[in-house]
Amino acid sequence: MLKDITIGQYVPGESSIHNMDPRTKIISVVLFMVGLFMANSLYGYVLVTLFTIAIILISQIPPLMLIKGIRPLWIILVLTLGLHIFMTEGQIIWQWGFLKITYEGLRQGVFMALRLVYLVTITSLLTLTTTPILLTDGIESVLKALFIPVAHELAMMMTIALRFIPTLIEETEKIMKAQMARGADFESGGLIARAKSLIPLLVPLFLSSFRRADELAMAMEARCYRGGENRTRMKQLKMYGRDYFAFIVMFTFVGISFFFRNGV
Amino acid sequence: MSIILEDVMFTYQPNSPYEYKALKRINLEVNEGDFIGLIGHTGSGKSTLIQQFNGLLKPTSGKISVDGIDITAKGIKLKEIRQKVGMVFQYPEHQLFEETVFEDIAFGPKNMGIVQEGITKRVKKAMAMVSLEYERYKEQSPFVLSGGEKRRVAIAGVLAMEPKYLILDEPTAGLDPRGRDEILAQIERLHRNEGITVVLVSHSMDDVARLAGRLIVINHGEIIYNDTPRKVFMESQTLQNIGLDIPTVGKLMLSLKDKGWPVRTDLLTIEEAKEEILKVVRGPVKNA
Repeated sequence: MLKDITIGQYVPGESSIHNMDPRTKIISVVLFMVGLFMANSLYGYVLVTLFTIAIILISQIPPLMLIKGIRPLWIILVLTLGLHIFMTEGQIIWQWGFLKITYEGLRQGVFMALRLVYLVTITSLLTLTTTPILLTDGIESVLKALFIPVAHELAMMMTIALRFIPTLIEETEKIMKAQMARGADFESGGLIARAKSLIPLLVPLFLSSFRRADELAMAMEARCYRGGENRTRMKQLKMYGRDYFAFIVMFTFVGISFFFRNGV
Repeated sequence: MSIILEDVMFTYQPNSPYEYKALKRINLEVNEGDFIGLIGHTGSGKSTLIQQFNGLLKPTSGKISVDGIDITAKGIKLKEIRQKVGMVFQYPEHQLFEETVFEDIAFGPKNMGIVQEGITKRVKKAMAMVSLEYERYKEQSPFVLSGGEKRRVAIAGVLAMEPKYLILDEPTAGLDPRGRDEILAQIERLHRNEGITVVLVSHSMDDVARLAGRLIVINHGEIIYNDTPRKVFMESQTLQNIGLDIPTVGKLMLSLKDKGWPVRTDLLTIEEAKEEILKVVRGPVKNA
């Protein structure tokens, strides 16, 4: 059940998206978001949809995995859809008491929900095709290019956070099992009973997280880690032809999206 | 009464790039009164196997029954099974969470719906089983205790459910020699005096040789030996090939034999070795 969390997971592969420079991918995701948020018409959304599908196909990530990643979002999706459908004023197409569905609301709701889905899909694609180490290397150099002072420290914090997601999930499962072996029940009962049943899980989890953080800090210090100043790398990031090609594709995408916004 | 596994298979993350077959066709019987040692290299499937015993993991295929109840069936009350089959995980002290030792040990019985007097009785008994003085420890926070004491509190937490079968996953990992001896002696006592069936997962060949009546060796998700320790440890070559070892005593006897001493090599404890060596050393003197 906890294994279903796909954010931060990496699926090894040899697709051209896998092999791209992480900086290209990060900037492309930002560009994609720009294109996505500009889309406000049917044509715009058709373009974004086709583009997203194309990227998924090129990346060779099993679509099932992406769907799994979207599944936890369903509450937010339903909420977005519902709020837009029932709250927007306009041309009424269905009415029952004070509830009414408008054409504008339906349109806006579907667009918003799609926007969320694509947003999550593309960002999970970024982590699914990039190893956490490359990803943070990329983030670090992007941040540096933006003259953000503690770029290395921020990137390091992210690396560590990403690195510990699977460990924490594993730990959670282990403690859950240990408490279930003692008859704990995490799945039934009302809201209060369930919240209470989390105490035997959360207390040991916090303790072990602090312990791990302590050990890691010690281990880093023991190896003379002292932050980013004058730090060199064994593996330098390098851009290739495919990266420049990707930029051309991305800017074209944003351009067309912009055109649809104003034009059709 | 017994725990019976029939053709049990278990696959982690099936149908994904990370698919991993942890157990392949396991057939196994744990009978009441057994003391079973379970050994295997890291990643051989030991931990996956023991989690099948109380339904924490459900087999991908195959059947498991505990005292005649099929626990792979739908709608089964796993709570009762988990009371019957007590499970002590690796580093069990990491599961402690309550403010006092008493409360932590009482967690299991409380979940089973035992009333207050029953709980006090059980906690007292469980603490006695692991040699923790009730009056001295009951009000203490489990987090201020030493590693060995914490572990004993955690084991008491499982014992307080009064399980018929007790499964321990490396209960001595990370303890000093004294803590290790104490825990093992307590487990042996539980088996002898309380009649609890024990399955002990261990990396120490010396420990399982001394304690277990039956030894199960698992490699790549398959059982390769299921016999008395004496017979299993005769297969020293195969054991070494799969990353295991034989008890120190066995090694000593083997090297004595290499040096030309006509000693038996299927010995498990220091006492046995002592007698055998004395017999062989004194033997020729008597004959002369």
